[in-house]
Amino acid sequence: MDRTACIDLPAFPLQLLLLRHPDWREHPAAVVEADRPQGIVLWANERARALRVLPGMRYAAGLSLAPGLRAGVVPEDEIRRAEAALAERFRRFTPNVEPSAGEPGVFWLDARGLERLFPSLEDWARRLREEAAGAGFDASVVVGFKRFGAYALARAHRGVHVLKNAAEEREATRAVPLDRLALPPATRDALARLGIVTVGGFTDLPAGGIATRFGPEVHRLHRVASGDLEVPLQPERPDVPATRRLVLDHPEEDAGRLIAAIEGLLGPLLDEVGEKGKALAELTLGFRFERLGDHVESLKPASPTLDARLLMELVRLRLQAVRKLPDRVVEVLLAAGETEAAQRKQRLFAEAGGRDLAAANQALARARARLGDDAVVRARSRDAHLPEASFAWERLDALGDAAPRPVSEPRLVRRIHARPQPLPPRERHEPDGWMLRGLEQGPVVRVLGPYVVSGGWWERPAHRDYHFAETKDGEILWLFYDRGTRRWFLQGRVE
Amino acid sequence: MSTYAPLWCKSCFSFLEGASHPEELVEACAAQGIETMALTDRDGVYGVVEAHVKARETGVRLVLGSEVTIDDGSTLVLLATSRKGYANLCELITAGRRRSEKGVSRVGWREVYEHAEDLMALWGGDRGLLAGEADPFFVAHGLGEAFGDRLYAMAARHRRAEEPRREARLRQRAEKYRIPVAAAHEVLYHKPARRELQDVLTAIRHRVKLVDAGRLLKPNHEHALKPPRAFERLFEDDPAAVARTLEVASRCSFSLDGLRYRYPSERLPDGKTSADWLRELTSEGARGRYGGSVPEDVARQLEKELDLIVELDYCGYFLTMWEIVRFCRERGILCQGRGSAANSAVCYCLGITAVDPVRLGLLFERFLSRERAEPPDIDLDIEHDRREEVIQHVYAKYGRTHAAMVANLIRYRPRSAVRDVGKALGLAETALDRLSKLLPHYGDVAPEAFAEAGLDPEHPVHRDVLRLSSEVLDFPRHLSIHPGGFLLGHDPVSTLVPIENATMPDRTVIQWDKDMIEELGLFKVDLLGLGALNQLHKAFDLLERHHGKNLSMAAIPPDDIATFDMICRADTVGVFQIESRAQMAMLPRLKPRTYYDLVIEVSIVRPGPITGGMVHPYLKRRAGEEKVVYPHPTLEPVLAKTLGVPLFQEQVIRLAMVAADYTPGEADQLRRDMAAWRKTGRIERHHERLVRRMTAKGIEPEFAERVFEQIRGFGEYGFPESHAASFALIAYATAWMRRHYPDVFACSLLNAQPMGFYSPATIVEDAKRHGIEIQPVDVTVSDWDCTLEPGSRPRFAIRMGLRYVKGLGESEWKRIEAARGERPFASVADFVGRTRLDEGTVARLAEAGALSRFEPGRRGALWAAKGAARATRAAMDLDREEATPSFEGLGPVETIGWDYRTTGHSPRGHPLAPLREKLRARRLPDARTVSRLPHGRLVHYAGLVICRQRPGTASGVVFMTLEDETGFVNVVVWSRVYEKHKVLVKTTSFLGVTGKLEVQDGVTHLVAESFWTPKDLLEPAKVGSRDFH
Repeated sequence: MDRTACIDLPAFPLQLLLLRHPDWREHPAAVVEADRPQGIVLWANERARALRVLPGMRYAAGLSLAPGLRAGVVPEDEIRRAEAALAERFRRFTPNVEPSAGEPGVFWLDARGLERLFPSLEDWARRLREEAAGAGFDASVVVGFKRFGAYALARAHRGVHVLKNAAEEREATRAVPLDRLALPPATRDALARLGIVTVGGFTDLPAGGIATRFGPEVHRLHRVASGDLEVPLQPERPDVPATRRLVLDHPEEDAGRLIAAIEGLLGPLLDEVGEKGKALAELTLGFRFERLGDHVESLKPASPTLDARLLMELVRLRLQAVRKLPDRVVEVLLAAGETEAAQRKQRLFAEAGGRDLAAANQALARARARLGDDAVVRARSRDAHLPEASFAWERLDALGDAAPRPVSEPRLVRRIHARPQPLPPRERHEPDGWMLRGLEQGPVVRVLGPYVVSGGWWERPAHRDYHFAETKDGEILWLFYDRGTRRWFLQGRVE
Repeated sequence: MSTYAPLWCKSCFSFLEGASHPEELVEACAAQGIETMALTDRDGVYGVVEAHVKARETGVRLVLGSEVTIDDGSTLVLLATSRKGYANLCELITAGRRRSEKGVSRVGWREVYEHAEDLMALWGGDRGLLAGEADPFFVAHGLGEAFGDRLYAMAARHRRAEEPRREARLRQRAEKYRIPVAAAHEVLYHKPARRELQDVLTAIRHRVKLVDAGRLLKPNHEHALKPPRAFERLFEDDPAAVARTLEVASRCSFSLDGLRYRYPSERLPDGKTSADWLRELTSEGARGRYGGSVPEDVARQLEKELDLIVELDYCGYFLTMWEIVRFCRERGILCQGRGSAANSAVCYCLGITAVDPVRLGLLFERFLSRERAEPPDIDLDIEHDRREEVIQHVYAKYGRTHAAMVANLIRYRPRSAVRDVGKALGLAETALDRLSKLLPHYGDVAPEAFAEAGLDPEHPVHRDVLRLSSEVLDFPRHLSIHPGGFLLGHDPVSTLVPIENATMPDRTVIQWDKDMIEELGLFKVDLLGLGALNQLHKAFDLLERHHGKNLSMAAIPPDDIATFDMICRADTVGVFQIESRAQMAMLPRLKPRTYYDLVIEVSIVRPGPITGGMVHPYLKRRAGEEKVVYPHPTLEPVLAKTLGVPLFQEQVIRLAMVAADYTPGEADQLRRDMAAWRKTGRIERHHERLVRRMTAKGIEPEFAERVFEQIRGFGEYGFPESHAASFALIAYATAWMRRHYPDVFACSLLNAQPMGFYSPATIVEDAKRHGIEIQPVDVTVSDWDCTLEPGSRPRFAIRMGLRYVKGLGESEWKRIEAARGERPFASVADFVGRTRLDEGTVARLAEAGALSRFEPGRRGALWAAKGAARATRAAMDLDREEATPSFEGLGPVETIGWDYRTTGHSPRGHPLAPLREKLRARRLPDARTVSRLPHGRLVHYAGLVICRQRPGTASGVVFMTLEDETGFVNVVVWSRVYEKHKVLVKTTSFLGVTGKLEVQDGVTHLVAESFWTPKDLLEPAKVGSRDFH
């Protein structure tokens, strides 16, 4: 006999919001569509509802009713992540779990045959509810026979409910108020105006009339609710990345032999990735050491690939850097970071340029493999006034085509220190002049400035008086006096 | 003597850029010994009046100019050397503004050259082309030719590393084109501490958070006004450039004092002067007003007024007003002058106002006086729906060059300040919304509100929000348009002040608001829309069509006893000015029996008399319960009219002059300060002076304090007598209409909505209670407006118009009208098929019962309407569909509920009528019964909330009006009861209240002790409440 269960975590985004801000439970709180006064309230907690703050209202309107109304946005990806985590938990109770595509916090579960694994379906359902509670969520669980029936009853009732037979489910479903279902509000209201407020009343309407007046979506729902249309459970199949594991009978301390062992694993791993129609974008190497425990390294080829030779070259570069393994390796794990295989573009008419970008990127990948992921970076200009804040280093994954901008007039080059270097305080008496760089550079002969940079008062106030100082032997130094610390710093020099 | 003049100063009128008021910049100059400064706001002269007033006060010489934005994105600072130069500047900015969208200005170089006469040009700065990468060869020659020796290169320094390179280029090109170099720095605030606010304003202007603003912000705090020594140090390598700032300043001699303004002169009949023409029109009007023979006192008054008008050269202004009124009369547009113009017999005779000031003893000096030397102010009320016609007539008659509307500067107030500043500092908008709602609309940003909003007041960011939002208060945020103020000029207005586009199409607006206009003594014409005149016009039309009576305002019989009887009963729903809950409570006490009683009635329920504690003494004296005494014998002539109690604004000012020896100047200042009550402290400065002087004269200190309280209250919407006199005329006219033609009155009021104090539902219920039959909307007979049709009772029935079906617009009505004109509708499908209305509209018509001729059940009609709409859209044949299902019929509560939801009222019944039996079973009386219960009785009552009020004058007391099918119950809620039941009181439509009755002078109030929700009853229709706070 088909048994289908439905778990409903009512107002799921609101539950997530209150998990994020537990102190808000003591206040009226709501999930809003956007963080602005005109943001629509999507869900409101009991305290807010008691003050008549209702979904559909603008936050500003809610605030006039509940002056202490707390509100936050729960982004889609946060909901998806939480749903995925819950689905993972529920899979411990049944392999087939289907999260609802349109309603956050609703899951269908395959309950067939589970009474043989658990003392009873009631017990199974209760454990599911406890599982949700363990993650901090309130849930209702209904075990029924039809997908729609279980869903409608889970939305309508709190707690755990196991239906005995299909007739009982049908009867109970007919009485479920339509406003408990996630019908489009316009449809729900239109039906209510016709006096149709329960599932039973809805299914009693002629199907043709529904199709004409409410469109195919509602017609489909009508068919599902009437039992004219069966929708099978569509369990989510998590996409498990390809992995290969090798437990070494004899712990290995030689890097060369370890590389050979990895090579043995890599071929089958790439075959599996290839069979999925994908390519490898990242290779994760996991090592379990005898004493030091687990360690992970990751390697990125210049572009997604299934080329074992190329990947092994990167593995060698990374591991050959290690003269001697720090400990004996007892287990090796290879995991593939997969991506859709790119179609190779045919450059029929493209002329071969003087630069080979692919070769350059390959070289950069080798540098990363040899020296670590942060070895290849580039400076990105940033919109800020302080010199060290006006650029940032960012990882460079791949080189693009060069597009140099024309320069109308040549500029002096300023070299900048990664961090301004503190200079010794200036003497009150400098009989030989200001010896910025010691005796060998001579005293400062000319100073330009001050050029003032000040700001950031809302975060970290800064006030610097910048100068260009020329020493006797011609060096031009770029320095500043920091008014906060009352010290001189060297920012860089001018060439 | 100062060694330099700051020539490039931008105030907060460079919207969201400058971080100091113009006054602050001028004051800072005075404090630092700077003798001359130039105000050069971005593409405008918005701030010059404020700066001018302060400059006059401090002795700083003000140069007027502007930083003009060119269409290539660069800028040029222009300074006016003379009146001609100032006019050129205004016209240039006008050209740039008029072609651009609101808030932006762009002028072409050619336009700059054309307007160069008597302007100095300073070329440089961050966005000046002279220091740019490319050599501006052509522009340099163009400017050189246009400005000659009035062109300067502006070397601006702000201690930025990139500036020396730009300046080197500037100097090299200046030498090449032989342009002298003047030193400058861009002043954006008067002291360095304002730099933070300038950063915040920049973030607000660019709609980014401070942390993301990056290089949009200035890199340092070098934009403060510099003391002369600091400026000299900044340019110590080029003292000649510093000296040149004085040279430039000395060449600019124009001041706003030199603004000579002439009002447009009317086109006059041959050979007549404007004075002759005005005298002729006035005497002709007087003969019309007084039936041939003008009484001697009136003639004397007219002569006196005309002499003064001619002496002050104001004839053109009066002729203009006369012309506008004549235009309205010719077009059949109702209009009536209000405000101080009602003090003038000339205005009365010209037909501008409808009140005879001589008969009413109104003071002409309040309107116009030689001492005050200030232009008169005539406000004209025009029937609301047709005001735009009059506005466009003024534009057409005077041209857009000579007529423009006055601006309304939207300034930062506590709520907008914390919202914008907080957003710039990165606070969550929902938290800011919470905070701002705890702040008052005006006044200061209260620190306590932070804690109340759940924001730690000690958190550094919250401290910044508090500090900076307090600093930004009163800064202009953007320009809006005054509701009806026009500036007219004999010369083009754009030579006086730049004109720009308003958001509303076909509107142009000047860069000054009404206070600035007043400060400069310019003439303003106010054309204001008034719903009551609109209603009266509609009523006169209905009266003629259905009752065959051709009536006008002037022809309404005066002193009608039945009308005053009705007013005394407070039966005044919909009567102009005396319909509110508070007015209704006053009417049975004051018992107006004459027109002048109405003038007092209109004025007395106002914050001034209420907060001044003048209401009860007046009522007692009127009822003969208290002797009429005067605080001082000299005050008898001032207060005799109102039994020794000051009720009008004029009396308060006269009182200050007589009892506190205010000079005319001081009195005028008091009047201005009362008008500007929102500017903190302006009224307070009169407190000590007034009380001290009155007490010295032997007036009781307690009375003096009360007079001051009243002055304070008058600031908040107090009425002058002349104003009340004009309004009382309209109040009487609408009351007369209500008393004698209630069908016409209700129908016209429904067609003039939205206006007044009550919702259409209350007007409909009130009409029903007065025996008027209301017919529901029906697509086969209803028009757009409500109409009168023969009914089953002696009066006409009102057929509700389709304008009351929510979501149905005039375009949809036109389609219904056209289709119905071809042939009558036969069915729902025929109606939908021929009108092709969308599904939502058709569904609402079905729900409103407007399709009931075809389908009596509304649910069946709804099903049919939805089907027909979809079938029409998809060209489907509905006949093939299965049979119509049967739907449950609507009960009486639901029927009325559907009416309210779709049309906002119900002709079929009051929402509480179907529940009456159940309410009675619970011993809950109706409103009529409550009104007959004795004083002190404990009452439980349930009704629908139609109005909530929390006036500022009532110390937190809330007044509510509850309604049922028999009438109203007025409820008083003390603040402690309100706090306890706030949520219920604010949100519940069907509300139960328990309290004690207070009956006094025939007025019944229920003083609430608790509130509750009537349980186990079907929820009646939700009635919209008009809430005022």
